Amino acid sequence: MSSTTSPTLQVCRECGGGAPVDAHFCPQCTKILSLGRHGDYFAFLGIPRHLTFDAAELDQRFRDLSRQFHPDYFYNATPAERRASLDRSSYLNDAYRTLKNPVMRAEYLLRLEGLNATASATPPGLLEEVFALNEELDEIRALRASGAPRDEVAARLATAREPIERKRDQHEADLKALSAKWDATGDRQVLEALRDRVLERNYITNLLDGIERELSA
Amino acid sequence: MSHVVGIDLGTTNSLVAYVKDGKPEVIRDASGDGLVPSVVSIDASGTVFVGREAQRRLLTDASRTAYSVKRFMGKAYEDVGGEAKHFPFAIGGAGTGVVRIGLGDKTFTAPEISAFVLRELKHRAEAFFAAQGEVDNEVDRAVITVPAYFNDAQRTATRDAGRIAGLDVLRIINEPTAASLAYGLDKRHTGIIAVYDLGGGTFDISILRVEDGVFQVLSTNGDTHLGGDDIDHLLMDHLGSGYGQDVRKAVIQAKWDLSDRDETTIDGRRITRAEFETLIMPIVERTLGPCRQALADAGLQPSQIDEVVLVGGSTRIPLVRRKVAELFGKTPHSELNPDEVVALGAAVQADILVTGNREMLLLDVTPLSLGIETMGGVVSKIILRNSTIPATGSEMFTTGVDNQTAVDIHVLQGERELVADNRSLARFKLRGIPPMPAGLPRVQVQFQIDANGILSVTARELRTEAEQTIEVKPSYGLTDEQVEQMLLDSFEHAEADFEARLLIEARNDAESVIHATEKSLRDPDFAAIEQEALAPGERQKIESIVAALKMVLNAKDRETIQKWTKALNDATLHLAEVMMNRSVKAALTGKNVNDA
Repeated sequence: MSSTTSPTLQVCRECGGGAPVDAHFCPQCTKILSLGRHGDYFAFLGIPRHLTFDAAELDQRFRDLSRQFHPDYFYNATPAERRASLDRSSYLNDAYRTLKNPVMRAEYLLRLEGLNATASATPPGLLEEVFALNEELDEIRALRASGAPRDEVAARLATAREPIERKRDQHEADLKALSAKWDATGDRQVLEALRDRVLERNYITNLLDGIERELSA
Repeated sequence: MSHVVGIDLGTTNSLVAYVKDGKPEVIRDASGDGLVPSVVSIDASGTVFVGREAQRRLLTDASRTAYSVKRFMGKAYEDVGGEAKHFPFAIGGAGTGVVRIGLGDKTFTAPEISAFVLRELKHRAEAFFAAQGEVDNEVDRAVITVPAYFNDAQRTATRDAGRIAGLDVLRIINEPTAASLAYGLDKRHTGIIAVYDLGGGTFDISILRVEDGVFQVLSTNGDTHLGGDDIDHLLMDHLGSGYGQDVRKAVIQAKWDLSDRDETTIDGRRITRAEFETLIMPIVERTLGPCRQALADAGLQPSQIDEVVLVGGSTRIPLVRRKVAELFGKTPHSELNPDEVVALGAAVQADILVTGNREMLLLDVTPLSLGIETMGGVVSKIILRNSTIPATGSEMFTTGVDNQTAVDIHVLQGERELVADNRSLARFKLRGIPPMPAGLPRVQVQFQIDANGILSVTARELRTEAEQTIEVKPSYGLTDEQVEQMLLDSFEHAEADFEARLLIEARNDAESVIHATEKSLRDPDFAAIEQEALAPGERQKIESIVAALKMVLNAKDRETIQKWTKALNDATLHLAEVMMNRSVKAALTGKNVNDA
């Protein structure tokens, strides 16, 4: 497994005592810990560094932690505790938002594992579809410029999108399978395959968004 | 103990509520009326009328009477000038970033007018608590609601209004979320709720998941310039009898009539419900787009919504109910009075904040994406809309030329790609970047949206760990100094608050003495001075009085503050003398104090 449980501690600013890096409250004085040294999103939420997950469990964990340190409950506390509650809640919300979405979660994990998932060039696996789509789009633009009825243009666009949408659905399925495999094996090669799929998927999403904008313009 | 209340500061009506034995209740006047019309009138002698009385004056002294001021909160004249014909009062302030409302020979900002309404609610609550036999009947803290779709400037304007009215605004919460809180009280809900809130001037849709007492907003959308007022304006346009207050009153009456009847008359002319519905259909349709967007953002189909809750007076219109039922495929709830449910929820939230009661928790979202201007006038988004708040986002900046020590940052709110299409929130100047070759500094700017939905910004240069100072220029709205000044000005209108003004002055005095003392204590030569000229224990005594004064500073007790201020003045008399002599001596010998 790649999950790195570091032995690092954080220090309670209230009593000076040490606390595990993933703790939210000081084990000695029970005060909320200021958000200094902290774990990654997985560690912060207290869930394993996995890509497949039970959404209900993540929701439950999010609600439990919100109840522990939401600023509403620190209104009468000291300024330091209020700050700690605001910072911890912000971090919790950011963590939840990232991990809730499977693609953002995969991107986040790839970053933790040192694999960058941002690229702008057309991924090699998509060249054929993208080339065909671009040709189709040129024709549709010409059609629209010639004053063809809106419905006709929209229908052509929908047809043009079909192959790339099929490809996207296939990617979603691949992502699921690879995620499960990584969780089971922790195999680095699986992660690299996953990274390529994420890149392609993001490329497709951007492409479809572009078409969507063109359609609605 | 002073009291805390929940306030619904509405476009048309405002209400105040409080929690008694765990149950929220609207505070009513002697006749049982809970609504205070959000209308303010100032007669030629300067007397201020608020509520029903001001509303009556709409027919006799319209040009000195302001209503629907919520529409102007956080807006510039350029945003709303086009609506001026619909209002009897003067609208100005072009080029200042803040709408000015003219009543007679005086002009007011929207937060100031709103503060009159808030003050009226405060007085109503205080009178109520006094009548209950409470020894301390003061109301000094409140939760105030705003439309969920209010942007940062509009929220800040609302908070400013609270401050001007002498209220400590504990929290700004969203109206639909407040309503869901009031609904959630009766039964233990679990499920997905859609709150459709069509008020006098604003429209909101919020979709929430409620589970284990946690009210988690999944998405929100709306239009802060769409409501019952627009229906009135449409009817007035349709009638063609002008925009006088008599016409407005007749039109509103007809609108109400048509919620119960199939036809009525305006100004002697017959109008059927069918005609009315055809007329207002475009307005009702305009609410459906945001509903669909909110559903899409929550990743839900209409059929997945378990319950639909209606809020706001305009949801009494049958066409609105029909359209909402059609969209979500179920009959909406309306057990609670749609006028009162928001104030009840605000009171519940106020109670949670003050008592720390953990039975319920509201987790709201930011309605609009937050971004910054990048090259070519394009917006780069940093915190996406519908992010649960509090939320943070950060962005790295660097310099473009060698030894550049400042960077300009333009912050915007909105969903569009181009800067020009979004709402400008503020321009920041980041100063104090250590001089380095271009591109080398790495300034991390952190944006934080707090639980009120209001933004704050901090920045740090990562190579040198230097904190940067940030100068905020809000694009719309008032500076802190302006709000303070308005707070002082507003007392001219309310003699009862003379005491509050004295309290503020006492605090200001105390703060300046603390400031001067701390400055002396921090003097680089202080250790030497203490050794040479101060008595043993003198410094400790001064420090303990400073600490004590700081403790009492936020209390409401003016006399205690003044007592400790005097104590500090007395205790530092000798120190001040010593410091003064040193400066004089240094001046005579021509030496800098620090060289001595």
